Amino acid sequence: MKNIIEIKNLKKYFKDVVAVDDISFQVREGELFAFLGLNGAGKSTTINIICNALAKDSGQVFVDGLSIDEDMQSIQPKLGVVFQHSVLDDKLSVLDNLKFRANLYDMPKSQFQENLKFLAEKLEFDDILKRPLNKLSGGQKRRIDIARALIHNPRVLILDEPTTGLDPKTRILVWQLITQLRKDKSMTVFLTTHYMEEAAEADYVVIIDGGKIVAKDTPNNLKNQFAYDFIKIYQFDNKLLDILKKKKIEFNQQKEFIEIEMKNTQEAKKFLVENQESIFDFEVVKGKMDNVFLNVTGKHLKEF
Amino acid sequence: MRGEFKKLNNLVARNIKLYFKDKMMFFCSLITPIILIVLFLAFLGTTYKTSLINCLPEGIQLSDKVINGFTGGWLFSSILATSCITVAFCSNMIVMDKINKSVLDFQIAPVKKTTLQISYVISNFLTTFLICGIAVVVGFVYLGIVGWFLSFVDVLLLLVNMVVSILFGTLLSSVVWLFVSSQGALSAVCTMVSSMYGFLCGAYMPIGSMGSGVRAVVSFFPGTYGTVLFRQVYMGGVLEEIANAGVPPQVLMEIKKGFDGTFIFFNHEVPSWAMYVIMCSTVAALFGILVLCIFLKNKKKKPSKLVPNKSEAN
Repeated sequence: MKNIIEIKNLKKYFKDVVAVDDISFQVREGELFAFLGLNGAGKSTTINIICNALAKDSGQVFVDGLSIDEDMQSIQPKLGVVFQHSVLDDKLSVLDNLKFRANLYDMPKSQFQENLKFLAEKLEFDDILKRPLNKLSGGQKRRIDIARALIHNPRVLILDEPTTGLDPKTRILVWQLITQLRKDKSMTVFLTTHYMEEAAEADYVVIIDGGKIVAKDTPNNLKNQFAYDFIKIYQFDNKLLDILKKKKIEFNQQKEFIEIEMKNTQEAKKFLVENQESIFDFEVVKGKMDNVFLNVTGKHLKEF
Repeated sequence: MRGEFKKLNNLVARNIKLYFKDKMMFFCSLITPIILIVLFLAFLGTTYKTSLINCLPEGIQLSDKVINGFTGGWLFSSILATSCITVAFCSNMIVMDKINKSVLDFQIAPVKKTTLQISYVISNFLTTFLICGIAVVVGFVYLGIVGWFLSFVDVLLLLVNMVVSILFGTLLSSVVWLFVSSQGALSAVCTMVSSMYGFLCGAYMPIGSMGSGVRAVVSFFPGTYGTVLFRQVYMGGVLEEIANAGVPPQVLMEIKKGFDGTFIFFNHEVPSWAMYVIMCSTVAALFGILVLCIFLKNKKKKPSKLVPNKSEAN
């Protein structure tokens, strides 16, 4: 798979504040790429630079092999962007908003009608096409933002925290559509999110903190590297507690089970074999992306 | 090129539709003409009627048609002189798009920045022309009822004045709004323009009745000549009618001076052609300034001064 986005030594300063500090990474065509970081980590700044909304200070950005410094006009139709906050016209109807935006992409009317029909069906907004945006609920508005980003069939969909504040039903709708587009059209998805379960589904994850990349790999490798495994033991005899106390192994006793943190799966396996006579019912749980984020940055993502 | 022209049309249509859908913005831009009509109905109409009658020599009486045609012409020339500028200021969508961040959505679309900026100027001109056009039609209906003294040439000149004044307002507002991107600054500029422009250009009270110091100041303000040109068109015919009623030329000149039918620049009467030259030159200068500002803004920003990362510096 070729690289659809390539970022080399990108830097951006706001006066004396370093927003993006010499970052480099690639996004492969067709993959779901997650860009994680707290507010102010530099995620939106990077996105704004990729899509020409902000000028960079140094470094290089390529989209589909084209440089943003030389070929932005050719790059723009390839990108669809859902910003953190809606940038559509509140007073105009859903249809007008989508029509006026689509007309900027040299799209024939028939193509627009076809895309509109498809998106309205998938995102369930065909009954509100004539309603002004300021009369829609938060979830409905977000669906229109996503439809606007997809109306011109982009090759890369950039989603800047798209599902923040969405109800579960809408979130499922949005992800169903994205999954279908990835499958049918090999669309690349560049996602920033606060929802770790969304990041866990990604093909590749980059974690950014204070403008610098602090970790990048597949979710599984990141979990193996940065998140601990847990053994949950539901049925055991009291000897096990004595062993844990004697060996000074920390454990967390809950109502129905005890939980023991293990550095990795190998260590968990060894512990279970050594104490198999005292353990009757158990499960090994791999670390989650929350733990990865916490261990990499030292910060809880959900606090923000 | 053709594609870019289509995009320009699309953006102009979007800007105009958005303006008329935004009831608050639409209402705000109509405040000045509404204030003028209310003031006229409340007392200005009667005041000017009395002033005109007091100017007349004894024994000369004017018909109600002439008097009402004169005050009506004064009212609508005031409305046009202010609306061409205040409506232009309050209907320019560029600043609203910056505040609502909609401009971000156009920055990421394959449309040239220049096309986007031109679309704001064109849509601003068209919306202002439409609203002022409605004011002209309402004025014609009113004058048609109370006293019509406009010739065909007057109507044509009125259209020319409108186009020149709206261009003046549109270009001036486009330059100002290029540098404004906050709601607070928008409200401040709109309030200032709406309230002050009427006084500055002599729409609320004639320049002739202002003090000599203020008169000297406003004589350097191009909008003043726009107002006088509107007065000449709306009141030219009715002033001829007053002359025909036997009013001596000196008295007629005093009436013209008192009601801004003419303008005296440091003891010299300014001819109409000179006023057109002033207005057109101002429009040309503003166009040049706007093009220069857009060019400078669109030039790629130099990278901000690189400073070492604090952690690295340590």
